[in-house]
Amino acid sequence: MSELRSFDERYATALADPDVRGGLTAFQRGWRDSRDAAIADLEAQEGRSFDELRAELAAIKDGVLADWEHHLDSFTDNATAAGAEVVRVATPGEANALITARMQAAGADLMVKGKSMVSEEIGLNGHLEAAGIPPVETDLGEWILQLAAETPSHLVMPAIHKRKEVIAELFERVLKRPFPPDDIDRMVKVARTELRERFLASSVGLSGANALIAEGGSIMLVCNEGNNRMSVALPKLHVVTAGIEKLIPTYADAMKQVRLLGRSATGQPITVYTNFLTGPRPGQEQLIILLDNGRTAMAEDPDVAAALRCIRCGACADVCPPYGVVGGHAFGHVYTGAIGLVNTSFHHGIEAAAGPQSLCVSCGACATVCPVDIPLPVQILEVRENVARAGEAGNAGRVTRLALRAFQHPRLVDLGMRAVGVATTPVRRGGVTALPSALTARGPLAERIGWRTPPAVPPRPARDTLRRGRLEEPPRLADQPLAGRKVQLFLQCVSDRMAPDIPIAAAKLLRAAGAQVTVPRDQHCCGLPAYDSGEQDTAKSMVRQTMEALADGADVVTPASSCLAMLGHDAPYLLRDDLAEVERAQELAGRTYDLISYLTSGPGRLPAGSLDDGDRTPVTVHRFCQASNTLGRTDAIEAFLRDVAGVPVVPLPEASECCGFGGSTSVRNPELSAGILDRKLGCVDQTASSVLITDNPGCILHLRGGVHASGREVEVLHLAEYLVRRLPGATASPQER
Amino acid sequence: MSSAVTQTGAGADGAQRTLLRTKVEAAASTYQEVAGWEEVAAHAASLGQRVAIAPSLHAALPSLAAMLEGHGRTVVVPGEDDPAADVADVPVAIVAGAMAVAETGSVLVSEHELRDRVVTMLCQRLLQVVAADDVVDRLEDAAAWLAPRGGQAGFASLMTGPSRTADIERSLTIGVQGPDEVDVLVLTGADAAAEESTS
Repeated sequence: MSELRSFDERYATALADPDVRGGLTAFQRGWRDSRDAAIADLEAQEGRSFDELRAELAAIKDGVLADWEHHLDSFTDNATAAGAEVVRVATPGEANALITARMQAAGADLMVKGKSMVSEEIGLNGHLEAAGIPPVETDLGEWILQLAAETPSHLVMPAIHKRKEVIAELFERVLKRPFPPDDIDRMVKVARTELRERFLASSVGLSGANALIAEGGSIMLVCNEGNNRMSVALPKLHVVTAGIEKLIPTYADAMKQVRLLGRSATGQPITVYTNFLTGPRPGQEQLIILLDNGRTAMAEDPDVAAALRCIRCGACADVCPPYGVVGGHAFGHVYTGAIGLVNTSFHHGIEAAAGPQSLCVSCGACATVCPVDIPLPVQILEVRENVARAGEAGNAGRVTRLALRAFQHPRLVDLGMRAVGVATTPVRRGGVTALPSALTARGPLAERIGWRTPPAVPPRPARDTLRRGRLEEPPRLADQPLAGRKVQLFLQCVSDRMAPDIPIAAAKLLRAAGAQVTVPRDQHCCGLPAYDSGEQDTAKSMVRQTMEALADGADVVTPASSCLAMLGHDAPYLLRDDLAEVERAQELAGRTYDLISYLTSGPGRLPAGSLDDGDRTPVTVHRFCQASNTLGRTDAIEAFLRDVAGVPVVPLPEASECCGFGGSTSVRNPELSAGILDRKLGCVDQTASSVLITDNPGCILHLRGGVHASGREVEVLHLAEYLVRRLPGATASPQER
Repeated sequence: MSSAVTQTGAGADGAQRTLLRTKVEAAASTYQEVAGWEEVAAHAASLGQRVAIAPSLHAALPSLAAMLEGHGRTVVVPGEDDPAADVADVPVAIVAGAMAVAETGSVLVSEHELRDRVVTMLCQRLLQVVAADDVVDRLEDAAAWLAPRGGQAGFASLMTGPSRTADIERSLTIGVQGPDEVDVLVLTGADAAAEESTS
């Protein structure tokens, strides 16, 4: 394999190619429809949920890890009994040397290759070319890439980043005859004629393995094209390259994998060919190379061991918003998608993992579709921490670290933000900071900052307005579900300082429902920004500070769902090394709510129609990605708006997809963030709605900035801001200044 | 299509075969139930002048070749020396399946030897013939067939539809390295019992 170019170069190339984004967005949407339909069919067929089915397969794979040597031995014994030669190798170098030596001994001058990610992992093609034994890729996508001298950008659809026009041009150049770009059928058929003679002439064939079945020594090999069947059947030597994590105990277990693999990969109930090879055919030799290359180290690391369950379906890339913008050449190394962000550091080193992992927006979408339930978002943050610790995050990483350390100090932040608020008074326009158009319209900074108008920083934070007695008494609702109940409002650092209307509106709403709202003085930041940036020590100290500030046992309500994701979900995990701290974090998690959960499933449940002021202007709702993907919220806001506020809600396409804010990502990789935002606002346009409601302040500032910079006429509101307008006697636009 | 299509049988077997038909057709193959091998031969004869028979099927059912020749067709049974050349671009081929799985519409074909495999790999249109008694419900039934054969050299494939790809812009294209068309034929008559011995 030719050495991969640097990450920065791959990222820049991907951004510069308009085909990548356009093609991948269409691909992701098509995949989503097929996959969802296929999984729904499976749930109906099995009478069990996707979560139950994937838990079952995950348990099978975990069982293998728990007794790895036994399963390896069993596979080896059975395959050997069937006539195969099984060799375990530790490194890519050993695997390449073994294959090259065996081919040279056999006098082979050509290898036909079926699709094998392990062969990519070890860089086999480059080694064979150097040895003068050229390999020929036989999977259509892989063959296209070989002709183009590229590597796969997806685990299952290797050439998905290429448009048909580009492939037609490539074929014309290499095969020296015309190919109309709309005739995909002809391009596919030419692969058959071009490759068939290679199949017949080749004395060595290579394949990967989708599973190594321990009980029988069989290799399970799936394909749609039929190329794999030919490359394992026709040559006299069949070489298998497989990672040792592909072991599965029984044939029945393998069938459970089959049910989830095809559906997750391409939305097919089963691939066209699901082959079970046990030993070589008569007149053939079979060499099975089982590769470790960091897998044992992964198994021994409890933070990432579950990644070894991976069955290489590619679903984690198919739902990944950053992948949809830049594709697998940037979002990944050899292995692409979310799984690539995790396993690259073990197979190819932390330097190779550093760049790609910085593109993850932590939206959590990958975890929702993984057919073996790998906690990918959590694992990516572990890798991110390792990158930060190893000093591989570069200058941006150093700046982030210093900024986050400074951010730990509430007094410093308070003074700093007030100073910024005063200093930016001349350029504050409504909710945004009006930058001079000379900066944003053209020039070197335009691409980095012109796509999103920055939020305004008001001179006074929300906590000032909310100090006891300052906020005027809001009108009361007829129903008072929270009468006499004490609620601690957790403001969230971002909205406290940059969008004070949000926590103020939340306070009014809670008081209107009868609550006695307090704003604990020592609250600062839940630690999410630090956790998201791989600075886990800083994050822990901020979680502790927050637990301290909210120690009073009353309910905690935050208008920021991201803080709930942190305090309700991530904090106990982050503090897992100390059981007493885990218990404290769980205690806090148990009484912490975001506004919508407090008003719907929590103590503040409001009766139907209680916020109906008769306004029927339709709205649309962006579902904060982590609330959907991590907290499992579905249509709570939409249902609440319909039932309690009486508002028609236009469904937003891809409502749960990340808006592109992604914490540090939008600062570090603004081009990527802009690409995701563009997709989101395109979906908003489709609803023709003039009001966009969501409930995470980070998303709101990001979306407002994007709407403002693109000149759209859409009002972006926090749920609380929207609802206080509907309180009895409320004015149209509440401005507390 | 052959004129030999019959109604799907009744009862539990009927429901199973109805599901099989649905799944086979969903995979872009055709499905039909035939009374016996004579109808298989007639269907094959209607599709091309040269018809390949998988060697293992030919060994178990030598009369099939005579049936095809009765239709004036040239029969190809690949030999040991250069089996791929023997069947290169043969328009029609017939193979016997060990079972058909209703859940997925797959036919399990056991083909250890190269000369069997080239038939299913290189023909343009493949007829997969399964006895009605060998229609099973679930993939686990295929696993139960495979498990006792573990540790012994062998090759079995669950085949589900004609070969396909979506590698270019996710656009589904039928017919890549394998057959362009697949017909699943379920033997429902007395011949089905005889076919048992071939699988």
